[in-house]
Amino acid sequence: MNAVATEPNAPVELTDAQRAFQLEVREWLAANKPADLQGVSQARRQPADAAAALEAWTKKLHEAGYMCVAWPKEYGGRGLSGVEVALLNEEFHRAGALRITRGMGEWLVGPSIIAHGTEEQKAHFLPRIIDGTDKYCQGFSEPDAGSDLASLRTKGVVQGDEVVVNGQKVWTSGYWDANLLFCLCRTDDAAPKHKGISYVLIPVKDNGIEFRAIKQATGFGGFAETFITDAKAPLFNVIGGLNNGWKVAMTTLGNERGGNATTQYVQFADELWRLVADAKRLGKLDDPHVREQLAWAYCNVEVMRQSGFHLLNALATGQDPGPGGAGSVNKIRWSEYQRRLGEIALDILGPEALVTGEDYKLAPWQSTFLMARTGTIWGGTAEIQRNIIAERVLGLPKEESK
Amino acid sequence: MSVGLTAERRELAGSVRGFVSKNVPMSAVRKLLEDGEGFDRETWRQMAAQLGLQGIAVPEIYGGAGYGYAELAVVLEELGRALVPSPFFGTVALALPALLASEDEGALKEFAPGLAGGDLIGTLAWVEDDGNWNGGSRTAARQAGGGWRLDGHKSYVIDARAADVLLVTAEAPNGPSVFAVDARAEGLERKALPTFDLTRRLGRIELHDTPARLVGEDGAGDQILSATLDRAAVLLAAEMVGGAQACLDMSVEYAKVREQFGRPIGSFQAIKHKCAEVLVELEGARAAAHYAAWSADENPSELPLVACVAKAVASDAFFHAAAENSQIHGGIGATWEHDAHLYLKRAKTSSILLGDPTFHRLRIADRLQIESGKRP
Repeated sequence: MNAVATEPNAPVELTDAQRAFQLEVREWLAANKPADLQGVSQARRQPADAAAALEAWTKKLHEAGYMCVAWPKEYGGRGLSGVEVALLNEEFHRAGALRITRGMGEWLVGPSIIAHGTEEQKAHFLPRIIDGTDKYCQGFSEPDAGSDLASLRTKGVVQGDEVVVNGQKVWTSGYWDANLLFCLCRTDDAAPKHKGISYVLIPVKDNGIEFRAIKQATGFGGFAETFITDAKAPLFNVIGGLNNGWKVAMTTLGNERGGNATTQYVQFADELWRLVADAKRLGKLDDPHVREQLAWAYCNVEVMRQSGFHLLNALATGQDPGPGGAGSVNKIRWSEYQRRLGEIALDILGPEALVTGEDYKLAPWQSTFLMARTGTIWGGTAEIQRNIIAERVLGLPKEESK
Repeated sequence: MSVGLTAERRELAGSVRGFVSKNVPMSAVRKLLEDGEGFDRETWRQMAAQLGLQGIAVPEIYGGAGYGYAELAVVLEELGRALVPSPFFGTVALALPALLASEDEGALKEFAPGLAGGDLIGTLAWVEDDGNWNGGSRTAARQAGGGWRLDGHKSYVIDARAADVLLVTAEAPNGPSVFAVDARAEGLERKALPTFDLTRRLGRIELHDTPARLVGEDGAGDQILSATLDRAAVLLAAEMVGGAQACLDMSVEYAKVREQFGRPIGSFQAIKHKCAEVLVELEGARAAAHYAAWSADENPSELPLVACVAKAVASDAFFHAAAENSQIHGGIGATWEHDAHLYLKRAKTSSILLGDPTFHRLRIADRLQIESGKRP
C-alpha cells in the first residue's frame, strides 16, 4: 500500500549510482536520526524543547550537506537530480525523519540568483541561505495584482547606488522571522508591463517595512499585508539587472523536477485515513454513500501515488514524462481533490461541523475545509493553471490581454 | 520491468497505430457498423500474422510471445483510440486470462495456442439477465456420462456470436465453476443483442443440456472469475484511456480551427478549461491504467485494488472526454455523420461494462475493509 520506489517489485528502475545514493542516505539517517523529534514539524510556534531539538537537527543536516541539495555543488548544494531528491525524500519518510528545508530561500530565491545573479551576488547571498542567516518572505502579489501579477504597481526608483521602494504587497507569508523581502517592483513606467519590473532583495529591519497580519477565514494569521515606505536596497540587491525582474521571478531550478514525485501523496493518504477513522467513530462506515465517497478519495490519492511513479520512472530512465508530468496538472489534481475532501469531511461530521471549540477553536476538519479553499488560489489559481495547460500543453491559441 | 511507456512499449504502440490506421481507418469502422458480423476477419488474421497481438501476453509454451499486461495495455489503448471493432476484448481480455487463471494444463494446451494465434475467437460468459457484473448463478452444471452438461443462459456476452469457444460460468456440485463450450455444441443458442454501441457486439446465449468441458477445478469458478475480471478491468481501462485521448485530440484540433465571433473557439477560456480538465483526468487515468497493468505483471497482490481504481478512474475520464468533445463540436457533434457519437456511446457503455464507477468504488471500500476504520 505504501510502496515507494525502493521496495521489491518497485515500478521504477534505478541505476547503480542512484541505488548507491539511496543507501548512503539510508545509512546516514540510521546513524544520525534524532529520537526526540517525534511529531514535530517545521511550524511557526514550537514548545521550547521541540524548538531546541529542531534547531539541533537543522544544524546536523546543514553540517552533513543536506540543505539546498538540488542546488549545484559550486554554490554549496549537492547538485542532486529530481530523481535523487525523490529518493532522499523517500528515505527521510521511511526513517520518519523530518526533512528540513530553507523554505522560500531554497526553492524560490536561490534558484533565481543561481540562474540570473552575478558571481558576486551568488557568493554573497547563496551561502547565507544555506546556513540559515538569511530568511526570506515574498513580496509579489498586490491588492490589484493577483493572477495578473505583472500589473503590479509597487514603485522602485534608483537614487545613486540604491533603489528606493514604495507600495503595498499582500499575502506575504513567512514574514514573522524573515530578514529579507524578495520583492517585485516597477522601475520603468514607460516599458510594457512585463518589461519594467525589477527583482529586489529588500532588508526588512528598520527600513520602512510594516507587516500587518491578515486574519484568515480560520480566524488565524499566517499571511500579512506589507506596507513599504521609502524602503532602500543597494543596487547590488537587484537580481538579474534592472527591469529584468519578470524573467527572474519566473525561474525555477530545472533539475528539481520530480523531487516530491513519490512522497507527495503521503500526506494525502494520512489525511484520508484520519477521515476514515473519524467516520468510524461516528458510525458512518456502513453507509454506502460514505463508503463510496471515501473510495473516491482513495482513488484520487492512488492516482497521485501512481502518477508519481510514472514521473520518477520517466526521469530516471531519461524519457519524456509527457503532459502528465506537467506541474499545472499536478497542482490542479491535488488542490481540487483536497478542496472536495474538506467538503466530504464536513458532510461526514454532520452536526459536529456546526460547532467549534471556545474562542472559535476549529476542529481539524473545519480548518482543512477552509484552508483547502486557498489551495486552488495560491501559486496560480486553478483557472490560471487551466490556461497554462490549454496554451502550453495543448497549444490552444492565447487570448489577447491588456 | 518498470511502469509506463518504455522505449520498447512506445515502439509497440507505434506499430499498432500504423497497422490500425492502414487497416481499420474510421471509414472501415463506419462500414462495420452496418455489418452483420461487426468485424473484419481479414484484419483479425493480420493482427495475428503481422503483429502477433492476440498472443502478446500469453506464455511462449502456449504459443504466445511471453510479454505481459503492460504490453497488452498498450495494444488496447491503440485499439480503443481508433474504436477498432474486433473480438479482441473477448479473446484476449476475457478468454485467455480466464484460461491462464484456471491453471488447467489440458485446457490451456487445447485452447490457448489457437486463441493466441488468431485461429480461435473466445469469450467469457458470466453475466445473466439480471445484469449482475459479479456473475449470475442460475446456470447449472451436472455431470453426465463422463462429461458435463450445462443448462441456463448468459447475457451481455461480449463477442458472443464471433466466438468459437465460450468459457461459461455455472453452478456445479462443488460450487461455481468454469466450463468451455464449443460454439457448435448441441443445445447452444446464440442471439445477437441490438447494441447501443455498434462498435462492440454483445449477445445472449441459451444452454439446453449443452455438453461442456470443465476448466480448472470443479468449484474454482469464483477464484478464476475474480482473477479474470481484475485483469479485464485493467485492459478495459487501458482501452478507455485510448478513447479519451482520441476525444481530447479531436476537441483540441476542432477548437483550433472552428471560428466564431471572429476568432478560434479554442481561444475562449470556456473551451480551454474544458480541454484542460479533460487532460488532467486523462493523464490520471493513464497513470492508473499503466500502473494496474504493471501490477498484473509484477505485483499481483496489489491488483484487486488498483484494477478497481483504474476502471473507476478511466470510466469517468473517458465519459467526461467524450461528453465535452460532443459539446465542443456543437451541432455537428450531434449528427450521425460525425464520429463524436461513436465515442460518446463507447464511453458510456464501457463505463457500464464490468461494473460502473460506483460499483468499483464500493468494491474498493469492501476490499480495503474500510468498515474497520483502520488503514490496511
